[in-house]
Amino acid sequence: MFKELKKNRQLYIMCIPALVVLILFAYIPMAGIWMAFTEYNIQDGIFGSKFVGFQNFKYFFTGSTGMGRKVIYNTLYINFFGLIFGTIIPIMIAINFNEIRGKVFKKITQSAMFFPYFLSWVVVGAIIYAFFSTDTGIVNRFLANSGHDIIRWYAEKKYWKGIIITADVWKWCGYNSIIYMAAMTNFDPSLYEAATVDGANRFQRITRITLPLLKPTVVVLSLMSIGRIFFGDFGMIYGIVGNNSLLYDEVAVIDTYVYSAMRSLGFSYTTAIGLFQSVMGLILVTLSNKLAKKVNDGEGLF
Amino acid sequence: MSAQKHKHIRISASDHMVKLFAYLFIGFIALACIYPLIMVLSVSFSDNSAVTKFGYSAVPREMTLDTYRYLFAHSGLRILRSYVVTICITIVGTFGSMLITSMIAFAISIRDLKYRNVIAYICNFTIIFSAGLIPWYYVCVNWYHMMNSYAGLILPSIFSVWNMFLMRTYFSAVPVSLYESAKLDGASYYQIYFRIALPLSKTAMLTVGLMYALCYWNDWWNALMFINDRDKFPLQYFLYNILSNVNAISSGRIPSGAAANIKLPSETVKMAVTVITIGPIIFLYPFIQKYFVDGIMTGAVKE
Repeated sequence: MFKELKKNRQLYIMCIPALVVLILFAYIPMAGIWMAFTEYNIQDGIFGSKFVGFQNFKYFFTGSTGMGRKVIYNTLYINFFGLIFGTIIPIMIAINFNEIRGKVFKKITQSAMFFPYFLSWVVVGAIIYAFFSTDTGIVNRFLANSGHDIIRWYAEKKYWKGIIITADVWKWCGYNSIIYMAAMTNFDPSLYEAATVDGANRFQRITRITLPLLKPTVVVLSLMSIGRIFFGDFGMIYGIVGNNSLLYDEVAVIDTYVYSAMRSLGFSYTTAIGLFQSVMGLILVTLSNKLAKKVNDGEGLF
Repeated sequence: MSAQKHKHIRISASDHMVKLFAYLFIGFIALACIYPLIMVLSVSFSDNSAVTKFGYSAVPREMTLDTYRYLFAHSGLRILRSYVVTICITIVGTFGSMLITSMIAFAISIRDLKYRNVIAYICNFTIIFSAGLIPWYYVCVNWYHMMNSYAGLILPSIFSVWNMFLMRTYFSAVPVSLYESAKLDGASYYQIYFRIALPLSKTAMLTVGLMYALCYWNDWWNALMFINDRDKFPLQYFLYNILSNVNAISSGRIPSGAAANIKLPSETVKMAVTVITIGPIIFLYPFIQKYFVDGIMTGAVKE
């Protein structure tokens, strides 16, 4: 081992800065996980505080406010529908885009579809405000002009899961469609030629060739998303609804709950929630990876 | 004969339908993606009283530069400061990231490196398992003292494992024979990295560099975590603060008496700040877009 370290000394030295960053920001914090099993207080520090076993976890799942169960539900709900629509729409884009021949049209539309990816969630939040603001938003203007009652969107929580899922799909549709297009460029053109010779029309070529060939890509990307289904997108939720307490219940995901409960409910409790998330993530990613290997000729996600 | 002809016509009719649908669908999605941006732009160039009266629209109402003039006259310094913070963070962060990331990516792209899989696993494990927000926040604040420091805006996101693997894929495309002949000539790995690997992967470096730069430009999470000194707000966080005040009031949860005391930025100001925040991206977008497409495609068809 020392011989190897000596021989490739220069290469190992080049790895050091990155590894130091990982140690500082990923591995050292893992020691803090211990807080999840204690009743942390500042005087006694992380390792001196009273050990309480799984009490923090118990409170998360069975606490009387029901907030724990609620945020798990919200996280799974938003991620699940985000995954479904965030798969179907980009695939439709990629397939339809492939049917178009006009070069200029292609260039302009692709630029337009890819643009939302470049915006931060704060900017997306500003755009959503422009749509749904009570007095000036275009949605309320539209409702008023067509003779409907206007809606105080920022006080009506029932709409916001839908709005957030839409925003999520909107922001990522161009990006994800590029992944599917990348997969499609690798398809064997002779398959399409053969199908054309056999008299298959465009629609049949899409359903009989393109879709089946896309299946492995869809499965791999979906499995990756499923591996992270317990992780909410903090930036998305916070950028769009901020800390608006009227909407909070409806859209709070595990990640935003951890952040807002950090000060009110303490470090131990919120560390426990984070640990639950990470462990679920570890289990799901490992399972997904195994499944991915099965459908993908032995090639896993990692 | 006539039957065959008939069939031919029917097929091409269905093909035309598919084509027509494709144009309509793509056109619709593209419009849906770009329309909100046009609206934000046009409102920022509109007259505020016209916007309050008639609402938002995609065409400027009574086009004027008043909002921008007002903005720079009243909070120009504040915005300028946030701009400088964001620009500095983006530049320093991106260069730091590129150096750190390209070195390790280069190292583990060399097949002679015996423990490269171990190093890759150390990186990968941080994607699969993390300590969670609270322990991370705890060590950053209590042990590394990142509260209100610019380091808190840069260091936590200086190394992305995803970008590292993307870069490794690019480096792996460099022919090994070039390295070998350089080694025979007595070049060290530092020289190979600097003189051969980097120059040969210029496009790749630009791609990953732009990805990091976009990340830093759009970041407000680190600011939310560590910064409460207004002078150190990056641009995105400045915008976030404006909007979250507005949110609180339009939800009606602040009593109207109190709301009257909080001076709200006008509609056009909110949109103008949004435009200022995305400004450079709009101008650079036509030139940088292709690099991102390339990066996504390379990442998508890895190995």
